[in-house]
Amino acid sequence: MNEQMITRLIENATQLFLLLALAPLVTGVIRTLKARLQTRRGPSIFQPYRDLLKLFRKGMVIPETASWIFAATPWVVFFSTILAGLMIPMVAAVAPFGLLGDALAVIYLLGLGRFFLALSGLDTGSSFGGLGSSREMTISALAEPAMMLAIFTVAIGAGSTGLTEIAGVAIGQNWRFLAPAQMFAFAALALVLIAETGRIPVDNPATHLELTMIHEAMILEYSGPYLALVEWAASIKQLVLMTLLINCFWPVGLQTAWSGFGALQGIGWLLAKLLFLSCAIVLIETANAKLRLFRVPELLAVAFTLGSLALVSTFLF
Amino acid sequence: MTPFLNLQFGERIVTLLAALVLVLQIAMVSQRWIVINIRIFAAQSFFLAMIAATIAWFNHAPHIFAAAALTLVVKVILVPILFERLVERMEIHEEIEPIVNVPLSVVIAGGLTLVGYVVAASFYRPDAPGLGHNALAVAISLFLIGFFTMINRRKALTQVLALLSLENGLFLAAISLTYGMPLIVELGILFDVLVAAMVMGILVYRIRETFESIDVSRLRRLRG
Amino acid sequence: MLLVALLLVPLATAAASFFARRRAAMEALNLAGFAAVFLAAVALAAQVLANGTVSLGNGFFYADALSALVILLTVSVALVCSAYSIGYLRDDQQSGALGEDASGIEQIAQLRMYYTLTPLFVFSMLLMAVANNLGVMWAAMEATTLASIFLVTFYGKITSLEAAWKYAIIGGVGLSMALFGTLVTYYAGHSLAGSDSLSGLNWSVLAQHAAALDKMSMRLAFVLILLGYGTKAGLAPMHTWKPDAYSEAPVPSAALLSTALLNCALYCLIRFYILASRCLGAEYPSRLLLLFGLLSMGVAVPFVLAQRNFRRMLAYSTIDHAGIMVIALGLGGALGSLGLMLHMAFHTIAKSLLFLSAGNVYQHFRTDLFSKIKGSVIRAMPLTGVVLFIAMLAIVGMPPFSLFQSEFLILRAAFEGGHILTGALFVLFSTGVFTGALMHVSGMVLGPGGDAAVAARRPWRDGSLLALASVLVVIGFWLPAPLLELIRAAARVVSGQ
Repeated sequence: MNEQMITRLIENATQLFLLLALAPLVTGVIRTLKARLQTRRGPSIFQPYRDLLKLFRKGMVIPETASWIFAATPWVVFFSTILAGLMIPMVAAVAPFGLLGDALAVIYLLGLGRFFLALSGLDTGSSFGGLGSSREMTISALAEPAMMLAIFTVAIGAGSTGLTEIAGVAIGQNWRFLAPAQMFAFAALALVLIAETGRIPVDNPATHLELTMIHEAMILEYSGPYLALVEWAASIKQLVLMTLLINCFWPVGLQTAWSGFGALQGIGWLLAKLLFLSCAIVLIETANAKLRLFRVPELLAVAFTLGSLALVSTFLF
Repeated sequence: MTPFLNLQFGERIVTLLAALVLVLQIAMVSQRWIVINIRIFAAQSFFLAMIAATIAWFNHAPHIFAAAALTLVVKVILVPILFERLVERMEIHEEIEPIVNVPLSVVIAGGLTLVGYVVAASFYRPDAPGLGHNALAVAISLFLIGFFTMINRRKALTQVLALLSLENGLFLAAISLTYGMPLIVELGILFDVLVAAMVMGILVYRIRETFESIDVSRLRRLRG
Repeated sequence: MLLVALLLVPLATAAASFFARRRAAMEALNLAGFAAVFLAAVALAAQVLANGTVSLGNGFFYADALSALVILLTVSVALVCSAYSIGYLRDDQQSGALGEDASGIEQIAQLRMYYTLTPLFVFSMLLMAVANNLGVMWAAMEATTLASIFLVTFYGKITSLEAAWKYAIIGGVGLSMALFGTLVTYYAGHSLAGSDSLSGLNWSVLAQHAAALDKMSMRLAFVLILLGYGTKAGLAPMHTWKPDAYSEAPVPSAALLSTALLNCALYCLIRFYILASRCLGAEYPSRLLLLFGLLSMGVAVPFVLAQRNFRRMLAYSTIDHAGIMVIALGLGGALGSLGLMLHMAFHTIAKSLLFLSAGNVYQHFRTDLFSKIKGSVIRAMPLTGVVLFIAMLAIVGMPPFSLFQSEFLILRAAFEGGHILTGALFVLFSTGVFTGALMHVSGMVLGPGGDAAVAARRPWRDGSLLALASVLVVIGFWLPAPLLELIRAAARVVSGQ
């Protein structure tokens, strides 16, 4: 009993640590790779850590018109994202908080964070904040159904919406990926990943022009530790979605259970797959231009159609 | 080599390629740039040739290899080159807003895919060779979506591309239903496709010269 | 032998015309070529009457009475049109219709295109009629579309391009559906073919074993074929390309399109109908055919009544007659089939005569509009006026002209077969077309009218008009026995005994 509890504690702590530590690294890797592809030198891959540290040490400036929402949001976003992250299988097919929540809980926790961010954007009273909030909500209104359809597809295949079961079912059969339902769901989730993490072609994370911002516009008024929390949460969300994509569809190297050496193997595979996915994201970002805002629904309509096709294909085959 | 001879593996590959072909067709519905549409068509034909080759391999049917090779030459190389040169000469690169807006047309394309699956289900016989049942559904969907795109689009060249993707669907249906038609028929059909592409290309070019645009909604002089 | 000669001569004519330098050479080559093909077609018809069927290449080429009749009709029209086009194109060259600023060389190039494409067009129609393989038949049909597209754009006007584009697209979609139908037919017969996959698409083989074809697939196949080849035949609702194409193409090409191509499209429909009715029983296919036929006739009526352009009215009349023939096919039986074949033959003669007269009228008055030609035709061109009027009477089914007999046969088939509603609608729609056509044409030919100058003599055009008109008048009363026998034999092929 005791030993079990200690093992569980270690697993949870490891996953928590991975979430917190890996997230800025992934952001940094993507940024640097993109720079290298554009023949620039780019920042070091550890730069996001330094940015976070710097922000934590700085003072804050809070708008006068802001209410308690402005202060509460960074905490809500941060903790909801971490909670969601603990519910997904990262190293092993068993998610630490797997019994507490399933795929739907993950989606809704991420949605909760986004909701509060949007509110805080409105809360500041600046027009850019409102602009960012409305844009973000438009995109998520279209992206969430697509994501849900894709998740339901894999859930039907696994017989449950629990992410542990989903990943577990996929582990043994490597060619499962070739079924059209899985392919469509993967394509839909990949498109949603791009929309939710604010990557080109949906949103440019490196833009400094306020009128083209979506995510950045919402958090324009944040500074200091609050900004650090929000940025960290954003990169954790990116990590969560990437891991979800990887481990639901391509669980090569995912362990069935946490065990000493197996855990290290699992972490190794995770890092490798994350690197691969980051390279893919960088290629997509570099090869495309940012879509104009009213063209984004077209992209998301494709994601939605793919998602529904995926769902229907599970019944037709 | 064992996995390469396994029929189930072949079925998976064919299903995968058919799904890719379908995704490309839906992409063509949402795509705006004509040159990218041409390349999507080339990629689609390439995957079709691969499907034909796979089926030929697993069923030991050499004449399908010939059909696959012909498709490769005509639809992946010749016709796209023809059209890309045409686009360069005409200097028209972008499609204007279709009659039904893009998100809705993508959803309609998804609906047509379902119709295709339902129609194909009536052809499904459990005793018949299983390879290619999914491919038939994709083929009918390709046919329907190509038809819809032809009605929906306004630029003449995109209409021709939709017509050709419709023929792609027929080729896929031929391959999956009956393992291709007799070779001479395939030859005749491909020759017709090539000549049709050339003829339509010339026609589009002349329309451009006369109308200063290839917007077919302008072709409204003859009525009644 | 004969079939090979039938196919090679038009090809050789096309090739020779392509390399010819002078207009006179091209004209002579075309005329001679079509005359030779005409002789070959007559010889083929004789052979078919004697032996039943003619086949070559282990059943790859196959000609029975139906093919022979269609070939004979096609080639006759082609011959007359090639004689007519000599005068017609010379007039165009002089009047500048080939392009006002075009130099002599450019005009010759345009003529070359016409004289090369027309034999190719005829070749593909002949190939379609002798091909046993349904896939080759489809490919030949597609070739007719491709060959005729540039005939439609001959004058290079904006409206020509529009007409050609509609023709290309609608024809392309229709033929894709026909290909799909052919494919499904192949699938339906797949289990029969056995080892030789090529014969699996052979019509003669499929017709023999039609009862064993897969029924579900044949249902789908027939619908697709009807939609597909029906588009080429101009059945409603796929008819919208016809008025544009017929009014923009040069008149001899329009004549070929409206008679020979229509016959070929119907030929394909007949072949598949035979397969479908033997497999599924006559009820399902004939119901579909009756539906489309009546729809075509019905659609033609308002457009003929409210028409302002003469050649467009002819196009709608063609749609009407396509509907009639499809109804005849759907009614089936000995009477219906005989009516169909007779109607096909008579319609070919009358319609081509109408188009050629329309060409005369257009070249003299430079317009197709009724309002502008009002009443001047008989004064300006007495021969053309008379011929036009006679042909119009024939085409609307006025006795004693031959079309009245064939339509009457079809009506008899309808009422005797119990299709009362069909017969009633048939009469109603025919009356509508009759009224409209007669009203417009008599206003154009007779009537007060302005004073247009009397036209100059035109040997080629008037000569061919006269020849065809005399044929039309004669067959109203007397059909040469071999021709009648051929028609009866073709009807027997259709009705299946």
